[in-house]
Amino acid sequence: MSHLLDKLNFFQSKELEQFSDGWGQTTREDRSWEDTYRNRWRHDKIVRSTHGVNCTGSCSWKIYVKSGIVTWETQQTDYPRTRAGLPNHEPRGCARGASYSWYLYSANRVKNPLIRGALMRAWRKMRETMTPVAAWAAIQGDPALRNSINKTRGKGGFVRATWDEATEIIAAANAYTAKTYGPDRVFGFSPIPAMSMVSYAAGSRYLSLLGGTCMSFYDWYCDLPPASPQTWGEQTDVPESADWYNAGFLMLWGSNVPQTRTPDAHFYTEVRYRGTKSAVVSPDYSEAAKFGDIWLNPQAGTDAALAMAMGHVILREFHLDRQAEYFEDYARKYTDMPMLVRLDEKDGHLVPGRMLRADDFDGKLGEANNPDWKTVAYDEASGQIVAPNGSIGFRWGEEGKWNLEEKAKGAESKLRLSQIMDGDHDEVVGVNFPYFGGAATGDFVKCDHPEVLTRNIPARRVKLADGSEALVATVFDLFCANYGLDRGLGGDWVSKDFNDDSPYTPAWAEKITGVEREKIIAVAREFAGNAEKTHGKSMVILGAGLNHWYHMDMNYRGIINMLVMCGCIGQEGGGWSHYVGQEKLRPQTGWQPLAFALDWNRPPRHMNSTSCWYAHTDQWRYETLRAGEILSPTAPEGDWDISLIDYNIRAERMGWLPSAPQLKTNPLEVSKAAKKAGKEIKDYVAEQLKSGDLEMSCQDPDAPENWPRNLFVWRSNLLGSSGKGHEYFLKHLLGTDHGVMGKDLGEEGGVMPKEAVWHDEAPKGKLDLLVCIDFRMSTTAVYSDIVLPTASWYEKDDLNTSDMHPFIHPLQAAVDPAYESKSDWEIFKSIARKFSEVAPEVLGVETDIVQLPLLHDTAAELAQAHVKDWKKGECDLIPGKTAPNYIAVERDYPNLYKKFTSVGPLLEKLGNGGKGINWDTKTEVKHLRDLNGIVQDEGVSKGQPKLETAIDAAEMILMLAPETNGEVAVKAWEELEKPTGQHHTHLAEGAHHTKIRFRDIAAQPRKIISSPTWSGIESEDVCYNAGYTNVHELIPWRTLTGRQQLYQDHEWMRAFGEGFVSYRPPVDLKTITAAVNNDAAEGSPHVVLNFITPHQKWGIHSTYTDNLLMLTLNRGGPVVWMSEVDAKKAGLVDNDWVEAYNTNGALTARVVVSQRIKQGTLFMYHAQEKIVNTPGSEKTGNRGGIHNSVTRATLKPTHMIGGYAQLSYGFNYYGTVGSNRDEFVIVRKMKKIDWLDKPASRSATQNVEAAE
Amino acid sequence: MLDRSLKALSLILSYPSRELQEAMPEIGTILGSDPRIATDTRAALRSLTDGFADADLYDLQESYVMLFDRSRTLSLNLFEHVHGESRDRGGAMVSLIETYRAGGFEPATTELPDHLPVLLEFLSTRPFAEVQETLADAAHIIDALAARLVRRDSGYAAAFAALLQLSGDKADAEAVADMLAQPDDDPTDLAALDAVWEETEVTFGPDPNAGCPQVRDMLAAMDKPTPQQLNRSA
Repeated sequence: MSHLLDKLNFFQSKELEQFSDGWGQTTREDRSWEDTYRNRWRHDKIVRSTHGVNCTGSCSWKIYVKSGIVTWETQQTDYPRTRAGLPNHEPRGCARGASYSWYLYSANRVKNPLIRGALMRAWRKMRETMTPVAAWAAIQGDPALRNSINKTRGKGGFVRATWDEATEIIAAANAYTAKTYGPDRVFGFSPIPAMSMVSYAAGSRYLSLLGGTCMSFYDWYCDLPPASPQTWGEQTDVPESADWYNAGFLMLWGSNVPQTRTPDAHFYTEVRYRGTKSAVVSPDYSEAAKFGDIWLNPQAGTDAALAMAMGHVILREFHLDRQAEYFEDYARKYTDMPMLVRLDEKDGHLVPGRMLRADDFDGKLGEANNPDWKTVAYDEASGQIVAPNGSIGFRWGEEGKWNLEEKAKGAESKLRLSQIMDGDHDEVVGVNFPYFGGAATGDFVKCDHPEVLTRNIPARRVKLADGSEALVATVFDLFCANYGLDRGLGGDWVSKDFNDDSPYTPAWAEKITGVEREKIIAVAREFAGNAEKTHGKSMVILGAGLNHWYHMDMNYRGIINMLVMCGCIGQEGGGWSHYVGQEKLRPQTGWQPLAFALDWNRPPRHMNSTSCWYAHTDQWRYETLRAGEILSPTAPEGDWDISLIDYNIRAERMGWLPSAPQLKTNPLEVSKAAKKAGKEIKDYVAEQLKSGDLEMSCQDPDAPENWPRNLFVWRSNLLGSSGKGHEYFLKHLLGTDHGVMGKDLGEEGGVMPKEAVWHDEAPKGKLDLLVCIDFRMSTTAVYSDIVLPTASWYEKDDLNTSDMHPFIHPLQAAVDPAYESKSDWEIFKSIARKFSEVAPEVLGVETDIVQLPLLHDTAAELAQAHVKDWKKGECDLIPGKTAPNYIAVERDYPNLYKKFTSVGPLLEKLGNGGKGINWDTKTEVKHLRDLNGIVQDEGVSKGQPKLETAIDAAEMILMLAPETNGEVAVKAWEELEKPTGQHHTHLAEGAHHTKIRFRDIAAQPRKIISSPTWSGIESEDVCYNAGYTNVHELIPWRTLTGRQQLYQDHEWMRAFGEGFVSYRPPVDLKTITAAVNNDAAEGSPHVVLNFITPHQKWGIHSTYTDNLLMLTLNRGGPVVWMSEVDAKKAGLVDNDWVEAYNTNGALTARVVVSQRIKQGTLFMYHAQEKIVNTPGSEKTGNRGGIHNSVTRATLKPTHMIGGYAQLSYGFNYYGTVGSNRDEFVIVRKMKKIDWLDKPASRSATQNVEAAE
Repeated sequence: MLDRSLKALSLILSYPSRELQEAMPEIGTILGSDPRIATDTRAALRSLTDGFADADLYDLQESYVMLFDRSRTLSLNLFEHVHGESRDRGGAMVSLIETYRAGGFEPATTELPDHLPVLLEFLSTRPFAEVQETLADAAHIIDALAARLVRRDSGYAAAFAALLQLSGDKADAEAVADMLAQPDDDPTDLAALDAVWEETEVTFGPDPNAGCPQVRDMLAAMDKPTPQQLNRSA
């Protein structure tokens, strides 16, 4: 609009007041319109928070609040600067995080507590005349009613409830379950404590006070790389992302940094400007591929072959033909390569056996303490066999020698790496190595090399304590032979020429992986060449792409070996960067007492989820993989060809893996019986187990006494994004409609398990109650009986850390929780309160019996030098030694709430600690009394520090953890000085008086303090890098040898051919049966593809994938990606609706046809929601499934090993993992798109009435 | 002076409870005698309130949760339909709260300010002219929700029809059509659902086969033969 008519052209009003000599003047026109602009960006306050999602980002954000409503967010820009020469962390944050304030008020939000209508009717009816526990018992006691309620799971029919009513049902169910079956039948699943530690702790604290089972996530998600505990005795420890900038050669291997590590990707971009070369290994042309100077695209699943060929080149050119001085020195000091291995005879041939121990020699080499756990090597100087410092036997029972000084028995020693020199060996012998290349099936290249390869090794004869003679070789010599390198010793299956078609040469790898040999050689040379010049600054960033295969250990160990050969571990700018799952709970030791109620009772009940779900969702009943198929041809004699579940049962029985439930009989009753018999609990249980009067639950997962009864799921979408074998969950655990198309072993007439009890009729609907706590209607919420609305990330106070940067971030309640929602802390507090009110109806002060496996980082890790099964009569049942331990724990049920809301007395009595060290923490508890206040009410908690609010809980974590309390850090380092005999406190002394509180991190992100919990340090000189303190402080790795363990000598490892690394093709899961593939039968176009589930750009797992913005940026619903070649085969064009199926189930999606994808593979981005735009499946007749609908978990026996140094159980540390990438699916075009838009039948609800 | 019809509609759209069920006959009477509402709508409202009074409470609650809590396209939070998951939503809710405060009320609920029953209750205290103005602003949403509920054979449609009549306004047909064409998270809206999936074809310039004009010109320039070099030294 023109202002011409409104303004004066020729006059100026005289009335206007002038100032500053006429340069300024006051006007009087209305300027209120400007307020629109002022108000547009007006806000009342800015609050710091972050997104507590399963993302390694952990980015600090500013949340803008106006009139109590979140209006928008922007990235925080106040991170402390890094040091000179290193780029800063900012900007952090990505499009997903920036869309969160919009997601907060989404229509998908859960607004009120919701309860399934059928359950609510039954409950209210019972409650009219009964007390809460009696009402619950009445519902469970009526099988017809119970089944009719279970069958409505996943079919809508929710009604709103009040908090009071919802918590009462839950409390009654928990009390009934504890009383009837045992408290360990109450399960809770929540992942990634680091993403919101107080929220995790809220649920696990409640469960731990109750005696419930806390379930692991890292192994179940298959993000746990078992190769890490195997090699380093550490779950996962990695360099921070800033350390990428220090690398000289950077490989990205199956990791897609720009897409999935968005806020950190800039370090990768920046380091290339510094001249760093980058190689990207990815089958598809991923976003990362275009950052690479070279792109290697192996067939998916063959990474180990590629890594071994590179290892072959490195060994040849840097260790054998020429010895790079730095590499050799590193191998001698920091790896098990000089250690001696005994060569065992099997069928007239030699195979690598156990590592020799001091115990094998005359006089035990002077080692009285743990001689069976002290490995040996030749000392170059004396020519004698010595037991050098640092092996795990020195860790327990003595002080000062658990270190990596080059010493043995106090004298200097230089260990001999190889016996190749004349005079260092007595003879050259042929040793057998297994070769699995011929086991390939389907599209994977099958080799015709034999399954046993004999190679020549320089060996020595030594005399043992029992007078016998043994042939021994060093790990290094066996290691080189395993890589097929010719060392001039003659014999077969070794090679001098990279062009030979002999296992592990580049030419061989070219055949298997499809990557040209020249590329393999070039990358290996540059990787090692850079590491030699820079002393280890070559790095590999690797990820889920490799770890989700059944033989993930081989992929990982292949790469780890390359890094170790080149001395890259523990060196800044070098090493192993596995960023999968935000596993780095930095203030871990401060958090554990809160999370597992260690301040009130110890030990808590922990369970490895993979074994648990495998058993309880009855996936074992459909197992197609026999142990015999993966067994090594060189395996020692034994009863090896049994079912995978049988292995798991043995592992639980021998104390290797935990159990849930633990005993078939309610532990509260067992303790009473023990008391009546006048016996110690431990002795009584041992006696009863031996006689068979008491049974472990694992033997019979389908007996009703052994079912999980109540399940809490919070901070997780267990059934959606992470339920491998989704359809089996629906069928057996929930008892509702499902899409399982295969038959179980009974129906198929398969080979039955030996140890597990088989019921012809499989249970359907094991759970009595499924409670989901979420802020949005996720797939899990849809299937739950009770959905509780929780506060989102801008509505609660919490803590958040990541492995990507050293800062600790708060989540803060910028606004009150929307609708009726409450924070997780408040929710579990209210359940605890209600439980304490309801429980006295049936429970008082009880004695529980907790079954504890042989734990890593405790003296129990030295329990079983040899595998012996008490049940088979190979040894006596000794709790805590040959079997799990059984420990009495008092449960004061009426006082559970009082305990929940106060810091208990055990911290002052027993101290605190982690990873094998323990320190006094009375000072910290005193400070907590001052900071949080003291409980004044009468009762068990009187005088203890308060734990009322989430901030109180956060302060407990921060106060107790060495990472956030310098005084504790110094104490912790002092404790570590005892076993190592080295000086470590200098790492924290400067921070002695630093105490980080909740309000400090609210003001600005704070860097944590160096602590012995982790193997890297926080410093102004170097970036955080894993293994740093092992190399630079001489702290041993927590393994058998105390060094990086490249040879795994446990009997089961040798039996399954994984003593040394090898290439193992993906396993055949046999899910494409003639019965299921009706497209093949009918001759209709289809294609069979390998099914993999990488991470996407439009969601963090399933979170954000139901956000309209992210759906719009993607294609608005479930999609799968396919190559042009495969699409043509199946007669598909871009955007067609397809169905992908196998015996496990079916899923429906649109297809994206792209040149990016390598032929033979079907991508489905991880965790797209079933609740968004998913039509019905033609195969199952039900709504199409999610990516997990076509998967099933399969266990690997080597992951069950326990009681053996680094191969010992730890929660989220070691155990079976839920791999899912070896799966194949049939893909075909859908004929009819049916949205199943009829309302679900109401019959279920009517049945309830009928049942009443 | 409370506009009891608006208050009654606010109640009808609230979560069903025993108390509400008992009040249904009275609610029906109030709406049945309001001349501002068309006769057939009044009849429909009557059958809604009668049905409500007789039905099983749990069925009512299950159906309410399924319709209004679980279906994004039937959300009673009006700004879901205006701003969706956009940055403007927070600001819009703030100005609505300020309107309530200017009207002399402080919201005392855990519902967000744009929840329709909240708005209706507020409007029941306002002069009718203002009511009409406010409802007219939302007319296209009300109309679209009514259409969606009709498609589901839900009796709740009558409540929205009544609101539309109270607004005294005809909803802007184009805006309603726009809304009905919006992506729908509900399986019943088949046509709307498939439309979301259609991707627009990428074209360059007026003639889709001509390619990018700049590149074409550049290529044309490159294709020109190099001028013959003249030998100037000769």
